Amino acid sequence: MAMLEIENLSKFFGDLEVLRDVNISVSKGEVVVIIGPSGSGKSTLLRCINLLEHPTGGEILYQDENITKLGKKVTNYRKRVGMVFQRFNLFPLKTVLENVMYAPMKLNKLPKKEAKDQAMQLLHKVGLENKAEAYPAALSGGQQQRVAIARALAMQPEMLLFDEPTSALDPELVGDVLEVMKQLASEGMTMVVVTHEMGFAKEVADRVIFMDGGYIVEADTPATIFTTPKNERTRAFLARVL
Amino acid sequence: MELNFTKAFVTLGPSLWDGIGIVVYITLIGFALALVVALLLAVGRISKNKVLNRILSFFIELIRGTPLLVQFFYIYYVIPMLLNSVVSLVGIDANIQFKPATCGIIGFAINYGCYMSEVIRAAIMAIDHGQREAGLALGFSERQVLLRFIIPPAIRNSVPVFGNYLVMMIKDTSLLSMISVQELLLRTKTFASQTFMTVEAYTILALFYLVISIPLSQLSKIVERKLKQVG
Ligand SMILES: Nc1ncnc2c1ncn2[C@@H]1O[C@H](COP(=O)(O)OP(=O)(O)O)[C@@H](O)[C@H]1O
Ligand SMILES: [Mg+2]
Repeated sequence: MAMLEIENLSKFFGDLEVLRDVNISVSKGEVVVIIGPSGSGKSTLLRCINLLEHPTGGEILYQDENITKLGKKVTNYRKRVGMVFQRFNLFPLKTVLENVMYAPMKLNKLPKKEAKDQAMQLLHKVGLENKAEAYPAALSGGQQQRVAIARALAMQPEMLLFDEPTSALDPELVGDVLEVMKQLASEGMTMVVVTHEMGFAKEVADRVIFMDGGYIVEADTPATIFTTPKNERTRAFLARVL
Repeated sequence: MELNFTKAFVTLGPSLWDGIGIVVYITLIGFALALVVALLLAVGRISKNKVLNRILSFFIELIRGTPLLVQFFYIYYVIPMLLNSVVSLVGIDANIQFKPATCGIIGFAINYGCYMSEVIRAAIMAIDHGQREAGLALGFSERQVLLRFIIPPAIRNSVPVFGNYLVMMIKDTSLLSMISVQELLLRTKTFASQTFMTVEAYTILALFYLVISIPLSQLSKIVERKLKQVG
């Protein structure tokens, strides 16, 4: 059974049609990677999935519930779906530890001690427990992004959305972040990942979706997409990035 | 011309010292209330409610477009008259009056509240949009995001500017001499007219203001530097 079911999704910004007729189904434990040129609507699609943008048309079913009709209850849904942003968006006035502890303490009323223990475990997991007391500004981009992943994990989400998590990083810092993401995938986390890291897509994705001009051109296993893409535009895109 | 600062200071000094008590009292309460007004106006101005937005922005323009002194006069003379004529309509013969110091506090709260609301609003707009999205994505509501992730850093970034406004407010208390608050200028004026020690009196007055405002602006610079160290 699909965990996330996107049906005929469309999105307009004013007169600009950014998404049209998008259909995606994501099963529990699946890793779906979305690729495509800049401006093709990948971010908008992810933002629609956790309702940072409201879809213009279509339905998004999460565990059979139409989340576009949630109203104020959307916060409960967002607690279950984490998001990692291209620019990390850590809280600059909080330490690394506080960044990770804060949401479960405030939103789930987790006692401070437990929140701290959990945060330290998560920082250990992303290899940054020795940075717990540092402020984000003192960290490299790669470290900040790993903290951001730990922060998202602290809410114990059922699914994680990644919007180009390594695009703002210096090349030598990309690997550490991808390692963490691979580990999450191997642990069975359901993930929707927008990325230009084709190596990651080949290795980790269960399915790769190629988007262009606001709609899904082609969706298939990485083996098929990267070796025998059916669509001319997919071929042209891959020829440019590979 | 013969000047005698010592003699002037012996009499005017203690009087100005008493006046500082009033100045500090009015400034502290006025400034605290101005902060509250500023925050409420700023939050109202960024709300999506168009009608509220129009009303508040009109009000802020009104206040910023008229002199503070005129506002003090309005609060001191005009508003009590209006209130009295309103209650007389229902047959009550009240004689509502505001204490001059109260008028000063109200005037400062409103006037400085309007100016500082624009500071807070600009600081709120300057907070990276990603902060809001990160908060929302974790499951915080719009209101929680505003209160926890937007307003605190915005206020923090506004503190250096607030420091300037605090010094300005202290100097602006001299306007209150016009509605008979026994602040520094009024005391000096009285002293000068009685003793004809005009040069000494106003020089001492200026020094008194400097003694308050210079340490305050230094302090706000130190705070500004400290704030820059984190984040
Ligand atoms: N808030 C917005 N308002 C107007 N247009 C937007 C907005 N966000 C994105 N767009 C436009 O939508 C299109 C798709 O953007 P985006 O989803 O960010 O693409 P991608 O992530 O694939 O680069 C672009 O043309 C972009 O300019
Ligand atoms: Mg994007």
